[in-house]
Amino acid sequence: MAPTDSGIASNLFTIGSDRLALLGKHHKALMQGYLDGFIDETAFSEGALKKLIAARILWRPDEQQPLALRPLVSELIASMVADENRRQINADVAEKLEQIRNRVQAYRDAQFKGDYSVAELQLQRLTEHVHDLSGQFEEAIDSLWHRLNSDFGFVASLDDKIRENERAQKQLRRLLDGLDLLDFNELIELSEGNNHLRKLLVSQLQNQLSSHHSSLLEVQKRLVELLAKFRQQQARSMLITNMAAFLRQHPKYQPADYPNRSELPTLFNQAARIVPQAAIALDNASDRQSLAELVRALPRYQPVKLLDTESASFSSVLVDDEIAARQQALKTDVENFYLRVIDQGGKLSALGYLEQQALEWDSEIWLYQIIAEYQALPQDEKQMFAIVRDEAPVSAMNQLLLIRDISLQLQVQAA
Amino acid sequence: MLQHGPLLERLLAGDFICQITDEDAYRHLSNEQTQQDINHYLRPLNRRLVSNDDNTVFFLGYHELNKAAREQLSSQFSLTVQSLLPLLEWLQLVQETLGRDSALTAGDTIKLQEFVLRTEDNQSLRQRLNQLASDRFFNSQSEQLDNQVKLIFRRLKEHGYLLQPHQDRQYYVVTGKIDYLIDVIRFIRDEEQLPVDDTPSQEALL
Repeated sequence: MAPTDSGIASNLFTIGSDRLALLGKHHKALMQGYLDGFIDETAFSEGALKKLIAARILWRPDEQQPLALRPLVSELIASMVADENRRQINADVAEKLEQIRNRVQAYRDAQFKGDYSVAELQLQRLTEHVHDLSGQFEEAIDSLWHRLNSDFGFVASLDDKIRENERAQKQLRRLLDGLDLLDFNELIELSEGNNHLRKLLVSQLQNQLSSHHSSLLEVQKRLVELLAKFRQQQARSMLITNMAAFLRQHPKYQPADYPNRSELPTLFNQAARIVPQAAIALDNASDRQSLAELVRALPRYQPVKLLDTESASFSSVLVDDEIAARQQALKTDVENFYLRVIDQGGKLSALGYLEQQALEWDSEIWLYQIIAEYQALPQDEKQMFAIVRDEAPVSAMNQLLLIRDISLQLQVQAA
Repeated sequence: MLQHGPLLERLLAGDFICQITDEDAYRHLSNEQTQQDINHYLRPLNRRLVSNDDNTVFFLGYHELNKAAREQLSSQFSLTVQSLLPLLEWLQLVQETLGRDSALTAGDTIKLQEFVLRTEDNQSLRQRLNQLASDRFFNSQSEQLDNQVKLIFRRLKEHGYLLQPHQDRQYYVVTGKIDYLIDVIRFIRDEEQLPVDDTPSQEALL
């Protein structure tokens, strides 16, 4: 029996390694197939396609359908790259338990018959099953944590996240139910009188499963918390949308007068602000030094001394020779302007004269001086001149009148 | 009390204190003994600590509701009511513009530049922003998108809904005052039994 076994084993080895090599050989095209959901047949030669189908890597789900990866291969990839959209969780414990029971029975039978090599083989298989069982939980827990830690980021919308969370919670419940199926009394009974079995089925398995159990409970707690958070976010979004819509539809809407209710809702008890003010305390001797510094740092106030002027003509008070000379020149020019008005007899524009004579005075100063000169005239002489201001308001909004020009005319009095 | 001087000053000035605006202060305020101490201290000023339902944000209210206090509360309330729609529209606009799958919550960061860039190329967002900016609450006179956005964010900062961690960097963090706003809306909704849902209908769940 042993030689046939090894024959099968070596045969298995060759086929298995060949087929694994196939996966490696076409890794890019296959991975693309995983992402697209179907295989691009033009990327393979016909021979390669046949080999891949024979190796049970690819299949055609339906005559009309393109080739696709077999579900088990997809699952393998999903688990390897932790693709939570496609990762499967296997919560089936009953089947595994059944296999463990059968193996234990076969192992015991073989031992009873004294067929030690078979017993050894059965023990080997049994060990694998136990590890599979534990690994199945480990894989599931890894997937759950992964989803949890990424905040279910692999789906876009909040609604999808909520659905994914609920799905994860269902998976978790199935896993916990599966754990409940494991009855350690039964396992103890199964391993009775055998050290190997006791170690494998009782101490090792129990240890692993109890740690899985606490992991699962922790995941469950976090999932529930996260779901509550998702729901809260969802509620908030909806509240914002719907309230905004309501307010838009009812622009005149006014809520009740909560601030004047006898029982004021705390939310609306928002007091007026008080900004604490502080001033210098002069009675505090220890602060004097710093106060003195502060005072010294103040910018010095320099009063502008206003000079008393007896008339609008201010030329007499200016003592500076140069300024006085300029002032005198201006005065002379203005006098000439007045003389021209008298000579000409008609209406004369002040700015017009300024331009015509090419005088260098600033137009504003010029107008000022003309007005000042007019004001300085004795009353009877004033009447000889008609002064007309050309005024306009600053803007439509500002009624302040600005003088744009002045015209002077000799008024011929009926003597 | 001495150690809480700056905190008291902020509270008196009308600031809302949450985990985002001042983590240390918020932790202190969450302590019942400190709350009592502060209330005791504020008693002569006719103030006391108030928080929202979930205790995520603290501010000052009146201890005793005299006539002056009622008047102040009335005017404060009408300001709050006026600001509801513009604030809600802003929340919606930000959520849609930045392509977020949930409403803004305290601690979320908004980059001004990203917001401007995304609004720029989208005519309908651009129009909504334009409308929002000219709302009385924001009161923007500008036609420039950039200025409008800046003004909106500055106003929200002034009202305590946003925090600008660095004066010269244009990104903002949403504060806990947003929770207060949501609580106010929920309160009004419940109290006035407005037809405003916040739970998805059974259909949506299935």
